[in-house]
Amino acid sequence: MIVEAKAISKSFPGVRSLDRVDFSVSAGEVRALVGENGAGKSTLIKIISGAYVPDEGELHFDGGNVKWSSPHEAQAAGIHVIYQELVLFPEMTVAQNIFVNRQPRNSLRMIDYRAMKTRAKALLGDLGALIDVNEKIKRLSVANRQMVEIARALDSDAKLIVFDEPTAVLGGHEVELLFAIIRGLKQRGVAIVFISHRLDEIFEIADSATVLKDGKLVGSVPIAAVDRNKLVAMMIGRNLADIYPPKAQEGEVGEVVVDAKDIVVGARVKGVSFEARKGEVLGVAGMVGAGRTELAHAVFGSLPLDCGSIRLVGQAVPKPSPTRSIAAGLGFLTEDRKGEGLFMLLDLAANVTAPVLETVGESIWLDRGAEKDIAQKQIRDYAIAATGPQASVANLSGGNQQKVLLGRWVISSRTALILDEPTRGVDVGAKVEIYRIIRQLARRGLAIIVISSELPEIVGLCDRVVVLCEGRKTGELAGQEVTENAVLQLAVAGRDAMSAGRSA
Amino acid sequence: MSAVTSDPPRTAARQAIRQMPVSLLVVLGLIVLLLAIGVIASPRFASLNNFRNIFQQSAALGFVSLGQTIVVLTGGIDLSVGAMISLTSNFTSGWIDGDPNMVVPVVVGVIALGAAIGCVNGALSHYLRVHPLIVTLGMAAILQGCTLLYSLAPVGKVTDDFEAFAYGRIFGLSYGGLAMLALFALVGVFLHRTRTGNAIYVVGGDARGARLLGISVAWTMMLAYAMSGACAALTAVYLVSRMGSGDPWRGDGFDLASITPVVVGGTALSGGRGGPLGTLLGVYLISLLNNILNFMDVSTFYQWIVQGLIIITAVAIHVEKGRRA
Repeated sequence: MIVEAKAISKSFPGVRSLDRVDFSVSAGEVRALVGENGAGKSTLIKIISGAYVPDEGELHFDGGNVKWSSPHEAQAAGIHVIYQELVLFPEMTVAQNIFVNRQPRNSLRMIDYRAMKTRAKALLGDLGALIDVNEKIKRLSVANRQMVEIARALDSDAKLIVFDEPTAVLGGHEVELLFAIIRGLKQRGVAIVFISHRLDEIFEIADSATVLKDGKLVGSVPIAAVDRNKLVAMMIGRNLADIYPPKAQEGEVGEVVVDAKDIVVGARVKGVSFEARKGEVLGVAGMVGAGRTELAHAVFGSLPLDCGSIRLVGQAVPKPSPTRSIAAGLGFLTEDRKGEGLFMLLDLAANVTAPVLETVGESIWLDRGAEKDIAQKQIRDYAIAATGPQASVANLSGGNQQKVLLGRWVISSRTALILDEPTRGVDVGAKVEIYRIIRQLARRGLAIIVISSELPEIVGLCDRVVVLCEGRKTGELAGQEVTENAVLQLAVAGRDAMSAGRSA
Repeated sequence: MSAVTSDPPRTAARQAIRQMPVSLLVVLGLIVLLLAIGVIASPRFASLNNFRNIFQQSAALGFVSLGQTIVVLTGGIDLSVGAMISLTSNFTSGWIDGDPNMVVPVVVGVIALGAAIGCVNGALSHYLRVHPLIVTLGMAAILQGCTLLYSLAPVGKVTDDFEAFAYGRIFGLSYGGLAMLALFALVGVFLHRTRTGNAIYVVGGDARGARLLGISVAWTMMLAYAMSGACAALTAVYLVSRMGSGDPWRGDGFDLASITPVVVGGTALSGGRGGPLGTLLGVYLISLLNNILNFMDVSTFYQWIVQGLIIITAVAIHVEKGRRA
């Protein structure tokens, strides 16, 4: 064993991040560390690499019991973490970056640039990377920047290298190169911890996997002993089939709530009509750039309508604006979670009640008690993983932040709710919760419009699907017709027709 | 992806030119332009004597700007240099007070004092997490208060030997101007060729990353501000040697003045980019400009206006560059 962590626990204000977790990696082993966002992967990595001090538990490294006092101490001992946010200095050269604080020096203790460049070239050569060591980091691609960090780890004789979602920023070919390097490191006897959300990659590169859930160890297994479904089931604690709630039954769908006709927005949306009914979940599918988001903004009134008409609950809306839409009971959760206005400095209760301040108490003073009650109800209803209304929103995981936002709109939406990419960047467990909430809202009589780039989500969640391609509606599917294949066909249909038209 | 270049061994000079940032070339171009304007503006401008004067007059600005450069490289700023000059200038003449035996101890003493106060600046801004702008502005008020408590007027006098620092010349070049050049070279080597000097760039580039790589951010910050304080004290020593005594308002205006050559020379206010070479060119550019304005009989007040315009323009140009990159 290179690293062995025994019964590690770590808490943060409002969150128990790790609960008696065991973890180990051997020399020459690639260990995948998997789990949803907020499962405790990052915390575990930070404890192993000296960025956090565990509350309880023991850490063994290279045969001895260790207590790191700083990340640098762990690094000097041979533990390197390649974070997603690379630790590089854009204004400095490749060689300077590899040897920060460890530059080769001559007998006068002056930095020996020639030796530094020679060693940098050798290190990058070993990795098979064609990078000019005199180039400034800011001129390198992300893949090459990663190489520079790996080279830095190699130079200091890393015994353990942790890759924290390294492939999230890489293209397909670059991922292959990275995997070749990881296999090379493995052969040299370096222990590897590999974190990724992409299961294919884990099955390709890892020897074994450790699964965390809610800060607890689910188990460590050789990768040959599990398949995809088994691994996902371990991650989310239930079977894949249980992800989507049952769809709307006959009779549950009522009258038209949102009626959009011939919507035109600049060159992005070219005359799209659709209607959304009470009690149903309507999907809006299409490739990126098909005009889905613009269509939603036009309906909500946050983008000017160049042409077309909108009726909300039978009433014509002559000039849509967000204020009028909200007054009519329409809500819109945009795809931009941060810009959407999570107030990171305020607690959960204040965040949930932000748009409905007038309903919290009668006087000009805020009724903190009422605020707290609303927040408590949200935490319970939506299974938000937080200690209470006073929890800091900044400490919540992406999925839980999204639930807070969803809760905020639910309070103020009475007729319809538009959700743009509601589960982007959210882990599987939180997705399940969000799907359940969406369906529950539809049952309660809202018309829900879901924009999504994820085909399984469109197919699993929506009762009816409108498919866009390059600003035009290419089809509408309902009930049994909604399959991934059918949606995909329509999503590229217009494009093919157009290119066919052009070539003809 | 850039291919590995099979480069032939470059000479140091060629490499220096290749890696010279565009901003330095721009400053060089401006210096040439000013020289041309000077020749047109006054027949007395293009004389060896005048250039020797500019060389001499640039010393004070050079010392203080060099210290400022180091601080700006860490991503900070030192607005206490003016008050520091006022304080240490009066201490220098007040403590020497005409006694030749006191010259060396007092000069060493005030420079050490400058370094110590600078060290406090760095420590406060690092440990209290207060922006250096506020820390050094507060320190400036404290220092100015101390200066005025010590004396409301110039005190003491210096010895004749001491005045040589400002007025002595070798081959027609003033000791002060040569000392400034030597110090720039020394600091340049320190920043470029030592790990500690390099750490100043690293901290300025990304303090969090620097810490992860085992660099002590606290120590680096204290060192940078200490060097700036020492440079300000050295400026005071030089000014006392030139004027014959200190003055409780001697450093007035040096805060802004010390920043102008730094930003003109291409050192980024965000830290991590630039260096003493740019500042040196900036110092000569400003000295040359003031010299020409004097020849043209432009009032000092206009010189202030010009200086204000220059600093805003220089920063604006660099910001624009950053956006494009």
